[in-house]
Amino acid sequence: MAKISSSRQFKAILRKDIVMEMRTGEMLTSMGLYAVLVLIVYGVALSQAGSSFDVQRIAAGLLWLAILFTSMLGLNRSLVHEKDQGCLDALLLSPVDRPIIFFAKATGNLIFLSIVEVLILPLFYFLFLSGKPMGGPFWLIALPLIVGSVGIAGVGTLLATMSVNTTGKDFILAVLFIPVMFPLLFSVVAATSAILISDPIAGITFADAFWKSLALGAGYDVIMVLAAFGLYEFIIGA
Amino acid sequence: MRVAEQGIKQRKFLGLTGNAWTLLMLGVGAILTTADFILAFFYTPVVYGAGVGGSKMIGGVVVSQQLLFSQKIFYFHVPVAIGSFLVFTFAAAYAVLFLVRKDSNYDIRSRTGMEVTLLLVMLTLITGDIWTRFEWGVWWAFGEPRLTTYAIMALLVVAYFVLRAAVSDDERRATYGAVFCIIAWIDAPISFVITRMIPTSIHPVVLRAGGGLTGSQLLAFLLGLFGMMFTSWAIYQLRLREEFAKVRIDALKEALEG
Repeated sequence: MAKISSSRQFKAILRKDIVMEMRTGEMLTSMGLYAVLVLIVYGVALSQAGSSFDVQRIAAGLLWLAILFTSMLGLNRSLVHEKDQGCLDALLLSPVDRPIIFFAKATGNLIFLSIVEVLILPLFYFLFLSGKPMGGPFWLIALPLIVGSVGIAGVGTLLATMSVNTTGKDFILAVLFIPVMFPLLFSVVAATSAILISDPIAGITFADAFWKSLALGAGYDVIMVLAAFGLYEFIIGA
Repeated sequence: MRVAEQGIKQRKFLGLTGNAWTLLMLGVGAILTTADFILAFFYTPVVYGAGVGGSKMIGGVVVSQQLLFSQKIFYFHVPVAIGSFLVFTFAAAYAVLFLVRKDSNYDIRSRTGMEVTLLLVMLTLITGDIWTRFEWGVWWAFGEPRLTTYAIMALLVVAYFVLRAAVSDDERRATYGAVFCIIAWIDAPISFVITRMIPTSIHPVVLRAGGGLTGSQLLAFLLGLFGMMFTSWAIYQLRLREEFAKVRIDALKEALEG
């Protein structure tokens, strides 16, 4: 039997995920609703802070917190189905290269996460940031979002594949995910803060803070996603 | 504590068996660490000639003597910190070997290495916390890159053990543990670099002995470093022995039942 080309394998697996999501809409609705709920809880948390409280200073952190927890939910769900329905076993039996499975699943997670982010960002802006001066052009926020999402999807797929095979799935994913994500989170929060905060710490220019943090985050992405890619075949065969 | 048969060959290295080396290392490590302790408190010059109590004027800023004295904890904190990452590297190396060769001996060595790493990381956090408390008067500071990085490393090592405990299948547990060990080992220096390079709200910088270390300070530091390394190695070997003994007991049990 002729070997199926890598791109066809990739597209087939990716299509499976997208079609399943379009039919049930389960992951997007749960992720979207969860993110909205998190924003409402933020409103409650800040309700006693007083009107002179400058939310802008912590806005970047709040946004990324929401994205982080939403993504953990999404990652977990995307792989629980595979395991419960025996789809993962079927994938392993079929003539698919292991690295392709990683890329296809990671890309699927990235797509869903991006959709949720696109929905959440305007809502976050209207709830917390409307009418405030920004430190930089707002559209630049797309860059840290991309860098962060790629890292979350890539490493998250590896960790979620591990955690779905343990007892206590969600909890294990959280325990593994948050420390590993910490450097990425640090850098994208710094980059987003550079945009959102209009009067930064003295002596640090916007360009310096933003581009440096972004470059560091991108560096993290390259290294960790490569590592995840290299280690994935050990996980999925176990 | 006799060891023989499968798992560990009874070899002699430079005329001494493995057992003897371990005890020797433990002894040497204990002596060196104690020497470091004594030197740190009695012989190394105190930074800026501080005494106990009172304060001193340094570069136009009044600094309390207590603060300068607390610099001494450097002689313990840095060796443990360096040691923890060194042992972490060994554990990760064994993890790689396990994934490549699929020999469970490597997995046992990797896990034991992670246990010693956990011990050293905890020591680093405790000494670092004490240092922070005296230096800045707070028990924790999120902007401080050292503390945050070590906290993340502690979380990573703890996560390793949580993961291992949560997997029920033996071979899968070893594989997942090895993979996560490698991911964590790559992640720790990245978090170190990133927290250093990204500017955050600056704590008031306290003047410290700038530049390099003087002779006796360097001696004390090196004593501490080698003392910690020898002691950690000895702890690792003793624990490893325990683990291999367990493996042999299990094999014997199975042989008896079967």
